[in-house]
Amino acid sequence: MAGDEKLIESIVGRYDGEVGMLIPMMQDVQAEYGYLPVKQLRLLSKQLEVPLSRLFAVATFYSSFRLAPKGAHEVTLCMGTVCYLKGAGGICEAICKEFRVEPGGTTRDRLFSFQAVNCVGACALAPVMVVDGKYYDGATAESAIEILHSLEPAEETAETSAKETAT
Amino acid sequence: MPTVIIDGQKVEVERDATVLDAAKKAGVWIPTLCYHPAVSISGSCRVCMVELDRGDWRQLITACNYPVRRDIVVYISSDRAERARRGVMELLLARSPESPELKELAERMGVKSTPYPTVTESQRSCILCGLCIAVCEDIIGKAAIGYAGRGVDRTVASPFRQPSEDCIGCGACAAVCPVGTIKVRVHEEQEEVEISPFKSRGKLLVCEQCRAPIVSTQVGEQALGKVEMNREEFRELMRLCPKCRRSKTAARLEAGNIDKQRGGRVVS
Ligand code: SF4
Ligand code: FES
Repeated sequence: MAGDEKLIESIVGRYDGEVGMLIPMMQDVQAEYGYLPVKQLRLLSKQLEVPLSRLFAVATFYSSFRLAPKGAHEVTLCMGTVCYLKGAGGICEAICKEFRVEPGGTTRDRLFSFQAVNCVGACALAPVMVVDGKYYDGATAESAIEILHSLEPAEETAETSAKETAT
Repeated sequence: MPTVIIDGQKVEVERDATVLDAAKKAGVWIPTLCYHPAVSISGSCRVCMVELDRGDWRQLITACNYPVRRDIVVYISSDRAERARRGVMELLLARSPESPELKELAERMGVKSTPYPTVTESQRSCILCGLCIAVCEDIIGKAAIGYAGRGVDRTVASPFRQPSEDCIGCGACAAVCPVGTIKVRVHEEQEEVEISPFKSRGKLLVCEQCRAPIVSTQVGEQALGKVEMNREEFRELMRLCPKCRRSKTAARLEAGNIDKQRGGRVVS
């Protein structure tokens, strides 16, 4: 796709092809696509003559870089002390297994992005799962999976927020 | 030349030689893991710690990257130095508890086991010394693997944890890995070589006669690119494994039809 190539070229051009500006370039790519697509990173690696492994290292070092598009829904599981003691670890494992997703990742079908965070500040409700801002208290592996299965599937044009950039 | 006194023994070394060099010269052993003469020193494993005399106090330094610039006194077998190294070894053992190489080194250092919880499967017994990454980038010139993630989640991985397209299947990473985490697997039926755990694969050059694997085709091509091949006979020999090559040459010798001139000339 010539368009992608042009775009990467123009991003590289913005910084005069300066390898030291790799991070701002990657931020621009993410701003454009909503995440860092493999193909675009490949193009960037070629144009800058920087090994792809280096780009991957940078992309995985900063938590605000995303390697997968955002899902249609935002799922956050609290892994804070109280939630953890009340079984959040098991819930996390169950979700990962059922939907073949990893914390920080998005399901294949883009149904949801999954995050395991350290505390959502609702310890009295532990264990807590937050779906699109809605809090579910006293979650169990079964109830969590049931809730997630009932989510509306992603529309074909799973829009990704183009404004977010890495910091 | 500055002198280094190691556990009371005096040696002279070039300026900017390391304490490790001095110890070698003195015939004193210091354990090392992330040190390899082929690549630049990273000083990441900390297993080579020794004590440096600072007058009224002693400083722990890593022997592999501490440059000798003046006359110094170091202690390798002092209590504190040994304790420091054992402490590091216990931490490393927790990361790579199954490695025979590491266990052997631990034993030599008097460490039997680790009091720490051992790491999870996903961290794959890697002590994160960085040798494989350095050799792939600096020596092979491919940079097919690199660090991924950060903090406790840091690992060595190929880009996107997918088989790397830059990997030529040379196996240099496996050769330098001090704990045997990286393995070269030969898949005979598919005539492919795999660098595990990165899952990078490459076609194998197999011997035309006995089908024994020789090297990956890409390594073969790179190596041959450095040689001027001016004779068909040489080219033929290159397509054979060392064993078949020898027997073919021997047969020729016996038949008395080998000429004096060598088949190939290295041009670079
Ligand atoms: S895989 Fe081996 S060589 Fe590479 S960083 Fe880990 S321990 Fe070191
Ligand atoms: S050998 Fe010196 S720090 Fe690893």
